[in-house]
Amino acid sequence: MADMSLIAQAIDQGDRDKTIELTQKALGAGDNPQDIIAKGLQAGMAAVGEKFSSGEYFLPDMLMAARAMKAALEVLAPALKETGIPTIGKVVIGTVEGDMHDIGKNVVATFLSGNGFEVFDLGLNVPAQKFIDEVKEKQPDILGMSALLTTTMPVMGKVIKALEGAGLRSGVKVVVGGAPVTQDYADYIGADGYAHDGGRAVPVCRELIGK
Amino acid sequence: MAMNKKQQILAVARGEKLDRLPFGARIDVWYNYHSAHGTLPAKYQGWSQMDILRDQGAGAQARFFSVTREEYRDMEVVETNDPPYITTEYRTPIGTIAKKEVFDTSEGPWIKYEMEKLFKSEKDYPVLRYVMEHTEAVDNFGPYQKLREEVGEDGMVMTASGGLWSPVQRVMREIIGYELFFYELADRPARVEELIETVKDLERRKLKVAIGCDLEVFNVCANWSDDIQTPVFRTYFVPWFREVSEFLHSHGRLVMAHTDGEMRRLNPLLRETGIDIAEAITPAPQTLVSMKEFRETLGDEVTIWGGIPSILFEPMYGDEDFDAFIRNMFREMAPGYQFIVGMGDNLPFDGDINRVGRVVDLIDKYGLLPIEV
Repeated sequence: MADMSLIAQAIDQGDRDKTIELTQKALGAGDNPQDIIAKGLQAGMAAVGEKFSSGEYFLPDMLMAARAMKAALEVLAPALKETGIPTIGKVVIGTVEGDMHDIGKNVVATFLSGNGFEVFDLGLNVPAQKFIDEVKEKQPDILGMSALLTTTMPVMGKVIKALEGAGLRSGVKVVVGGAPVTQDYADYIGADGYAHDGGRAVPVCRELIGK
Repeated sequence: MAMNKKQQILAVARGEKLDRLPFGARIDVWYNYHSAHGTLPAKYQGWSQMDILRDQGAGAQARFFSVTREEYRDMEVVETNDPPYITTEYRTPIGTIAKKEVFDTSEGPWIKYEMEKLFKSEKDYPVLRYVMEHTEAVDNFGPYQKLREEVGEDGMVMTASGGLWSPVQRVMREIIGYELFFYELADRPARVEELIETVKDLERRKLKVAIGCDLEVFNVCANWSDDIQTPVFRTYFVPWFREVSEFLHSHGRLVMAHTDGEMRRLNPLLRETGIDIAEAITPAPQTLVSMKEFRETLGDEVTIWGGIPSILFEPMYGDEDFDAFIRNMFREMAPGYQFIVGMGDNLPFDGDINRVGRVVDLIDKYGLLPIEV
């Protein structure tokens, strides 16, 4: 059995080539792909998340780790054909209509998928109806919305109202974020969660779905 | 003789001690939105932004893109309009690169976002360098002077020699894109650094042109926040800003950066850049940093302009909350020197314009210097 801590370490260092190499070795040695993900890749991402929260790591460190994880998952994909990649929850995410900013949203989407969530990224400038349609179709555990502008921030509240109107609100937790957004504002529009940055999005989403 | 609003702002930025807090307000997001939608308050229908600020009693921060513009030689630049997108191709003898942009009218007529960046893959580096090397800076003083005259002595025109970005920011945000920038920096650092140097050379040419205008304060870079990783800021940003600051100081100009993001981790480095003004400082609850912490970290070397987060103008905060916030901010900034009251970074579209005047009243009551706690 391969040493999963080495895979976790390669993720922690954001070393994509090393992560691929070690993942291939582990697979070749007959390790269960699910174990490689849980004990190697996700363990590494968890360590990176902790170091980000404690101030040791920066946003790009997390991006590098997530890139390494994504590359490793591609290596594992053929072996996971039948079982699929194990996920802890489903997230639909997008930047609201009128807003062309996607760095924050992309970072959150990357971290969530790196931490075991299945993420459906709707992109930027997403109309309210698109969010509603996707919630209906994908039935996610979490709907994530991002707004960078004060002009677009209120759209998040409108989407929440539209979810209520469509009878979908009770089935999905809503998490919001973006530069001008605060916890008070999230409470004000009736969101379930608020993430100040990409690093915090993961624990917030985990907590909301009890995982 | 009493100083006018512009003189007050400049005096504080030069380290002089005034007898009350100056206030420079930005309302362009609010104004552009309501002008475009015909929803300005009845009293202000048909008014200019400057006249509204004068009516509210506040100094102005009037935003202007750049005192230079770019012209291209030895290449063909072809723009194709396919609403809402504009595609611009740079056809050079060594290859073609293209970007796709969309205009956003909610914040102002000039805001464009790159839906497709110029950089797509490694093969674009030589073409990008060619484009930057064959771009010349020419003055854009006419439109700038027009706005300057409109603002008069009632505030400052906020502009600079280039566009929004300093060279590294331009490469990171505009040319390559944020995430890809860090991947490229990890995978091909020499290529990225060469490109940064080429963009710096272009910016130096712009500065030489820009110094010919009478702009007192140069806004050298927008949108600083912690997502510019601290080591990257230390390695690539600090030396550039030191160079720019030395150049502008040698010509008697002041240097400002638009620092409206989460600045918790970049703040300690701000003092090393040589900038004079950290503008649009945005404290808690919109970020994790209090005004007291900003003051302590930036010391006496940097003038702080800002302090009122946009969110405080939202209807969810009542007048009492707003007043309490402002009074607390004054206390945190005591004795109040090297501080210009302002927004972090704008009046939101659903904010109450009369809160601008409310800040003026609160300064009259509680913003006399030195502030005693």
